[in-house]
Amino acid sequence: MARPTSGILRNETSAVSARGRLTLSNVSKNFDGTGVPAIQDITLECQPGEFVVVVGPSGCGKSTLLNIAAGMLKPEKGTAAIDGRLIQGPGPDRAMVFQDHGLFPWLSAAQNVEFGLKMAGFSRADRQQRVAEALRMVHLSRSAGKLVHELSGGMRQRVAIARSLVVDPAVLLMDEPFAALDAQTRTLLHQQLQELWVETKKTILFVTHSVGEAVRLADRIIVMHAHPGKIRAEIDIPLSHPRDIDSRDINDLVHRIRREIEDEVNRVNANLAPEDQWKPKAAGDLVDCSANLGSGI
Amino acid sequence: MLNIRTAFGEPVKPGWPWPTKGNVVGAVASGPLIEALVVSCSRLLIGFAISVLVGVLLGVVIWTIKSVDQLLGPLFLGLQTLPSVCWVPLGILWFGINERGILFVLVMGSVFAIAISLRDGMRTIPPIYRRAGLMLGASGWKQYAYVLLPASLPALATSLRQGFSFAWRSLMGAELILAAQRHGLGFLLEIGRSFADVAQVVAVMMMMVIIGMLADRFIFAPAERRVHQRFGLVVAE
Repeated sequence: MARPTSGILRNETSAVSARGRLTLSNVSKNFDGTGVPAIQDITLECQPGEFVVVVGPSGCGKSTLLNIAAGMLKPEKGTAAIDGRLIQGPGPDRAMVFQDHGLFPWLSAAQNVEFGLKMAGFSRADRQQRVAEALRMVHLSRSAGKLVHELSGGMRQRVAIARSLVVDPAVLLMDEPFAALDAQTRTLLHQQLQELWVETKKTILFVTHSVGEAVRLADRIIVMHAHPGKIRAEIDIPLSHPRDIDSRDINDLVHRIRREIEDEVNRVNANLAPEDQWKPKAAGDLVDCSANLGSGI
Repeated sequence: MLNIRTAFGEPVKPGWPWPTKGNVVGAVASGPLIEALVVSCSRLLIGFAISVLVGVLLGVVIWTIKSVDQLLGPLFLGLQTLPSVCWVPLGILWFGINERGILFVLVMGSVFAIAISLRDGMRTIPPIYRRAGLMLGASGWKQYAYVLLPASLPALATSLRQGFSFAWRSLMGAELILAAQRHGLGFLLEIGRSFADVAQVVAVMMMMVIIGMLADRFIFAPAERRVHQRFGLVVAE
């Protein structure tokens, strides 16, 4: 089942020609220029159609990683590329779903979904058809005319997902999109996202601090650790989608992976040069770290 | 009892500052007052339009370019605190006792309030709108037209509402002192004083208050409320 892997290239069966290959090579980002980098020497490749979830405690640089992929941040070292093209800035080929949705409050749900199409210069008829289709996919056809503040938190995130999908991106970047939702809504959106992913076969790079969320969604989990932000482990989840979120398999896996993450953190730490080793300042530090990784389940 | 005398020594009759109801109604309904009202309102429309154009432009510039804001922001803030009648001498010296002098005072009295209030409002635009816009292909002029302009509507509504009251007050102050050829409400106030016509003074003051209230109640407040409701900034009743 779950095993930490050191290799990056896998899923050799997937079509090489398909679009949506996201490649980060030796990427580093240091915000203040000194001290500990936010992320250091990250190499990560998402295959076309792969669902990759980056999990790690807050401050491990996982959002930084996503922002580099989105083109919102430029790495100091290393390169980020999509289907072989260097990422120079933000663009609709890498649509992002933000934690706090970022919908435009002056537009209705449908107009928000339409926004990217309008910017890309689609005809009105074309736009209407695509917007209707996208809203149908997130089960919000009836809320098309509602304003953002009239939608619930879960509906807002679904509109945000529709807005990102409608421009037909190569990669969908998701930055803790369900972290602010209640448990029931989150469970529902986990199911809907899986359905969407099975239907659209988009490459998804998803960031979360919740191991449970990661196991439910991912083909592959990337475990990050903070100070500096580095990839500590990669774990394949060989379960088919859509997954039964309440199944015992999933729950067993969550517990096993959480333990593996703890072990991995300890192992990596023990292998570091003494001056790089992470020393718990207080007895609670390690416990805090694992608790953080597991929150939201 | 009061024992006040005028400069020429005549005793002032106690109780005289009180106009009678009939006097005021008569003054309000009188021809000169209606004419003055039209003059003042036409000045207000022209002057406020200039003020909005320049103020919005200045506000957007100091919001966009940080170095300009550092240079001009404190100056604008200082000029905003300057009572608008203080622009009257400069208006007379630069433009003379005419329409342009009055408009100058009106614009100077309101333009900085609009710019500062718009800048402050735009500072509260969540940065995520810009990021979301960029992600969806709104960069360059499209970012301004489709993201920043609509996102700044609540700030714009508030700044225009504030700017209007500044403009109206500045205009009245300017008309009071600057006796241009066409007579506005402010000038009638001064006429009323020189003829010791209390009824006229009170009638003109009432007019000024009513114009300010009507504009706010039927134009600016509803516009602001509607924008805020659309944005979900206030709970619709």
